[in-house]
Order: sequence, then C-alpha cells, then structure tokens
Amino acid sequence: MACRRIGGHGHTHSPASSINYVKALATGIRTHSICMVSDFFYPNMGGVESHIYQLSQCLIERGHKVIIVTHAYGNRKGIRYLANGLKVYYLPLKVMYNQSTATTLFHSLPLLRYIFVRERVTIVHSHSSFSSMAHDALFHAKTMGLQTVFTDHSLFGFADVSSVLTNKLLTVSLCDTNHIICVSYTSKENTVLRAALNPEIVSVIPNAVDPTDFTPDPSRRDDSMITVVVVSRLVYRKGIDLLSGIIPELCQKYPDLHFLVGGEGPKRIVLEEVRERYQLHDRVRLLGALEHQDVRNILVQGHIFLNTSLTEAFCMAIVEAASCGLQVVSTRVGGIPEVLPENLIILCEPSVKSLCDGLEKAVAQIRSGTLPTPETIHNKVKTFYTWRNVAERTEKVYDRVADEVVLPMDKRLDRLISHCGSVTGCIFALFAVLSFLFLVFLRWMTPDSIIDVAVDATGPSGAWTQQYFPSKKGSEKEEISNC
Amino acid sequence: MVCAQVEASPGKCWQKVLYERQPFPDNYVDHRFLEELRKNIYARKYQYWAVVFESGVVIQQLCSVCVFVVIWWYMDDGLLTPQWLFGAGLASSLIGYVLFDVIDLGVGRKESGRTRWADLKSTQVFIAFTYGFSPVLKTLTESISTDTIYAMSVLMLLGHLIFFDYGANAAIVSSTLSLNMAIFASVCLASRLPRSLHTFAMVTFAIQIFALWPMLQKKLKARTPCCYVGVTLLFALSALAGLLTISGVAALLFALLLVSISCLCPYCLIRLQLLKDNIHGPWDEAEIKDDLSRFLM
Repeated sequence: MACRRIGGHGHTHSPASSINYVKALATGIRTHSICMVSDFFYPNMGGVESHIYQLSQCLIERGHKVIIVTHAYGNRKGIRYLANGLKVYYLPLKVMYNQSTATTLFHSLPLLRYIFVRERVTIVHSHSSFSSMAHDALFHAKTMGLQTVFTDHSLFGFADVSSVLTNKLLTVSLCDTNHIICVSYTSKENTVLRAALNPEIVSVIPNAVDPTDFTPDPSRRDDSMITVVVVSRLVYRKGIDLLSGIIPELCQKYPDLHFLVGGEGPKRIVLEEVRERYQLHDRVRLLGALEHQDVRNILVQGHIFLNTSLTEAFCMAIVEAASCGLQVVSTRVGGIPEVLPENLIILCEPSVKSLCDGLEKAVAQIRSGTLPTPETIHNKVKTFYTWRNVAERTEKVYDRVADEVVLPMDKRLDRLISHCGSVTGCIFALFAVLSFLFLVFLRWMTPDSIIDVAVDATGPSGAWTQQYFPSKKGSEKEEISNC
Repeated sequence: MVCAQVEASPGKCWQKVLYERQPFPDNYVDHRFLEELRKNIYARKYQYWAVVFESGVVIQQLCSVCVFVVIWWYMDDGLLTPQWLFGAGLASSLIGYVLFDVIDLGVGRKESGRTRWADLKSTQVFIAFTYGFSPVLKTLTESISTDTIYAMSVLMLLGHLIFFDYGANAAIVSSTLSLNMAIFASVCLASRLPRSLHTFAMVTFAIQIFALWPMLQKKLKARTPCCYVGVTLLFALSALAGLLTISGVAALLFALLLVSISCLCPYCLIRLQLLKDNIHGPWDEAEIKDDLSRFLM
C-alpha cells in the first residue's frame, strides 16, 4: 500500500525536483551525503516513518544525497529503491520489542560501517529516541568521526523508573552529538532537560503535512447532522478513556450528534462497551484500522475533529484535520497549543467536562454558522507546515554541523565522563574505547580502500537523477516496479 | 512584559508557536525557555514524629515474628506446655475480641453486618479442624530434614515481612500471600515440636498473632493513636525480654534493629527528601481525574 503512495509522490515531486536540482547546481549550494537511520520506516506506518520519507524526498529535491537505513521487516530485506532513487537498506538485525532492534552497541558496527563507507556518508541523522538502532548508529558514527544529528519525536516524563533509565541512556547518546532537532518547543524543553543539553545545539523544526493530500470536500459530509471525527490509535495515551465518557454525555444532550472513530487498539473494547450500554450503534461508528490514504476520506465526512491525547509532542492529526477544513477540539497537552492558532482550535483541559464544553462550543458555532468555510481554513493551514520548509531548515542544520569538528577520541572520553556522571560515564567511555578497537580491527580485516563505492542514485552526480529526470514517465514506472 | 527583539525587525516578539515563521534562528533560546518548569509539586513534607509513629506498623510486625519464634523455642525446650499456650491465647483473643468492638463502639460490626453467632461458628470450625488435623500436620514433614525446615521457615517469615500490607500502595503488597507465608512457616516449625497437641497450640497461636492481631492493631491505630503507641512499646519490650531469656546477643541486635527502623530511618527519609528534584512541565502525561466507571455502570 505504501508503495503506491510513494510512487504517486515521486510523480508530484518530479517536475519541481528537476528545476530545483538545476537551480542547486547553478547557485552551487553545499550538498551533503546524509544517512537517515531509524528502526521505524515503511512498511511500518506512523509519524516518524512519514517524516523520514518526506524529509528525504525534499532533501533529494534540493540536490543532496540521501540514503535510509532501517531493519528488515519480514521478507522486506536487502536494498530497495523508492521514488527518485531514494535507497533504503533493510538490515538483517533482530527485532526485540515494538519494532525496535536489540542494542549491544557492537553487533551493528560491521554492517553500518560498511554502509557509511561505501555510501561516502558525511552526516548521520538518527530519528526517534525509542529506536535503539538510531542510538547505535550515532555511537558508531562518532567512533568513525562522522557528523551526527538526532531528531527527537516524542515526549517523556521524569517520574518513573523506566524514564529515569531511558533518560540516562539519552544523555549518553546525545552528549557528544553535534546537533539535535525537536518537533516543538515543548519537545525541545523536554529533550534539553532529559539529556542535560545546551539549548543552543537544539533546533526546533516542526513536522509537516502534505496539504495536497488533505483537501476539504464539504459535499462528502451530511449537513443534516453533526459528525465528530476521531482518528487515533485506541490506546490509553491517546485518552480513549476520556472519549468513552464524552460519547454518552453528548449523545444524550444532542440527538443529531454522530461519532466516527477511526483506528484500532486495546481500548476499542471500552468504546464498544459504551456503545452497547447506551444503545448508540447507529450513532457511533468504529471503523477499525485505517490505511494512511483513507484518513482524508474519513476526515472530510466530519464537522468537528476531536483529539483527546494525554501527551503529544507535535500532533500531526490535528493539522491534517484542520487542513481538511474541520473545527478542531483538543486537549491542551504537550506541544499542541503551539501547533494551531487560537481561532482554528478549541483547547480544553484533559477532563470529560472540559472536553464536552469545548465540543458544545464547536457545535454552537456550527449551528450559528459563525465558522469559516472549510476552504478558508484549508487555505490558511496549508501555509503553515510544508515539507519543503522543513527540508530547508534541516539543511541549515546540516550546513552548521558540517562546519563543526567531531570530537576526537580523547575529548570524547572526557566529555562522556564529565557529562554523564562518573559511573555511567566511565562504563560508556570503556564501550567507546572497545568500539574504537573493534573498528580498528574491522579496518584491518577489510580496509576502507577495498570497499566498493556504491552507485549514487541521488545527489550531485546521482545516476538516477541524470538517467531519469529527463523522461518523467519512465521514472514513475520504475518506481512502482521497484516497490 | 519584556521581550527579546531582533535587530532586523524591531518590535517583533518571540512567540512559542510553530505555525508562524519567526525572524529567529531555529536554535534560538528565549528567556521564556523552561518558564513552565515546576519542581517538586507533589513532594510531601514529612514531620519527624509523624514518620516515627507510622513506623510503628513495621515494629509491630517484626515483634510479632520475634514473639512467635520465642514461643516456639520455649515449646521446643519444654518450658511452656501447650495447655498453657492455648489457654493464654484463648484468653487474650477473647479480650481482643471485646476490645475490637469496644474501640469503635460497634460501628464496624454494624457496617459489616456479621453476627456474633457467625463469629463463634467459624472459631469452632477452625479450632475443630486444626485439632483434628494436628496429627497429620505433625507427621507431614517427617521425611524432610530439620535444616531444610528451618531454612524454609526463615525464608517464609522474611517473605511474610516483605509482602505484609504496611499501608503502602505498591504492587509488591499482598496481604494474602503474606499471611499464607506466615502460616506455612508456622506449620513447618510446629511439625518439629514433640507432640500433636503442641502442633495444634502452635498453629492456633500463629493464626492469632499473624491474622487477628494485625486487624486489632489497625483499628487501634486509627481510633486511639495514644493507646497504639503504648501497646507498640509494650509489645516491643516484651518481645525483647523474651528474646533476652534465650540469647543476649540476639536481643541486643534486635533492639538495634528496632531503634534504627523507628528513629534512624525516619531521619534519613527527611534528610533525603531535601535532595528531591522532581521535574514537572507541559510535557508530562496528563492524568485522567474523572471517575469514568460511572459511564459503564
């Protein structure tokens, strides 16, 4: 499924790509060879996955060389090419938990080193703090003397044992990383505190949505009733328990109110119980798991979008919904207040009463017709977040990082010991030394000079660019057959 | 309000929003950075004597275990006859039973709706069964080595102390498991006594001290804190005295343990509380405070 979508994307980007590419050559902007590393990538679906894909596409468009490294998903292993020659390495590493690979800090070094060398990578860009492969890659990249960038996509507490441990690991992982990117200001504050960082080396670059994917279509909705749409995984952190309180409360009050719930998860049973208990089968529809391309078709059927999340770093869902012209009602948690201006979102406290009040306000606005039309909302939202803008800002980070020096081994050890506490610092300093010795051994076994240089698909002298950009039709066919 | 301004466009304030392109670099740090950070908002301030009072539960339980072992020792050495133990136990149980109702003037009984006849019946059934099965309990562990029995008893009593419900809201607390471990230990030890009547008296005593006594204590603590302190002190002293008749060194060590738990540990807790550095902010996962079960009633 993802393939077709990816293929389609290539097509929409292609015309602009060739123009920009020529422009890049003409103005002579610096180009980088970037390796994106994360455990999470297609065919897995989610915010991180689409972030990596879209960012890579826009960076390729701007003339950089980009490759993606992730772990094998089922029989999807080896090397694949996506649209515009985006090369993806699916490495044969063992998955431990929640699609995250095991981390030993050593076992992935031979493979990653081989890739970094043969692809002539200059910047390693890791994504998501939940991905152990991303942290491994940062560790190896520093050992090999490459520049490192890390993007944090999630928020984390400080109170419980698990977060104390993960935050310590994050401190170790980020203490000598060149630059960190967060998706919202709240996320930046969180990451700076968690990893005890200097806030100057943390940039805020929000996520984006493709506005052409999320266009309004008022004809699809039924104006004889009011439909509230919820699209999220049905898990505790998304506040589905709150939703189970809101549904009966409002359905009793407004006989013309309908709920459309898209998504799957362990909390589905709670919603089903509520629907059963209050006999709301015709008014509450549970659609189950949705493909990403179906989300828009669900969104345009509603008037109001409800988000009940208990924690959220950025929340793409509310931007997608606003882009489809819906009135958004959401909890005031994490980075959500930063995402949309006040006239496009109704913010509520995370309680049933406050959310019901917010929804009632939205219903009143719809009834009185004071709401702007979906088209107006869409036109406003589409200027807020674009992937091209994200890529431009990320490129600035790369430029900055490329001018910095990677800490030499002795300074790196000093930094680890002084910054991460004496016990943890010393342990990881020892690991750093061992990993360096391992690297020396690997270099002796297979010297860099005898590793083949991979065919450049993208970038300044990309084979793909030269071969396929003149004939766009051919390129699209290739993309689909490659997927 | 003071706000940072950029030379290029004076009058333009930094805003904590993502939807606007602002004339600041992406890694810009405003003076408002981390302004919503809160520290130690849920940290509790402890009073020294209040913590000492609360530590009474732990002291009581340690003493219960100590008294139990001392009594077993006396029985094993023949210093105490089972008739005496059973008689004394029965008498103190009756006193406790009366006290249990007197403390709260029978309110608890009315709420539970349990009749005295029901209490009497269950007591009879229990005594009859223990008496009937005591020969079986006596010979149950004959094939097991005495060392194993001792080791097992020590482990079980330790487990009893670990899992006991001291009033903390933690996953490890399980009063059922705790009671079962104590009874298991008592059966193990009782089976090493000379006759089956000894076994019967010992198991009955275990029930009294591990099941009934904590219930009475709980009520005492809630209703009459002064009496509770007195009872705890008395109980601790008698446990120490009992231990002293067996071994002076053990009594000394036990006294040290009690003092450190009731005086030193509260002091450490209060000192360490000052070092608490708990961070809260907008990134915390929100808590659902509503009672959502009412929607499914």
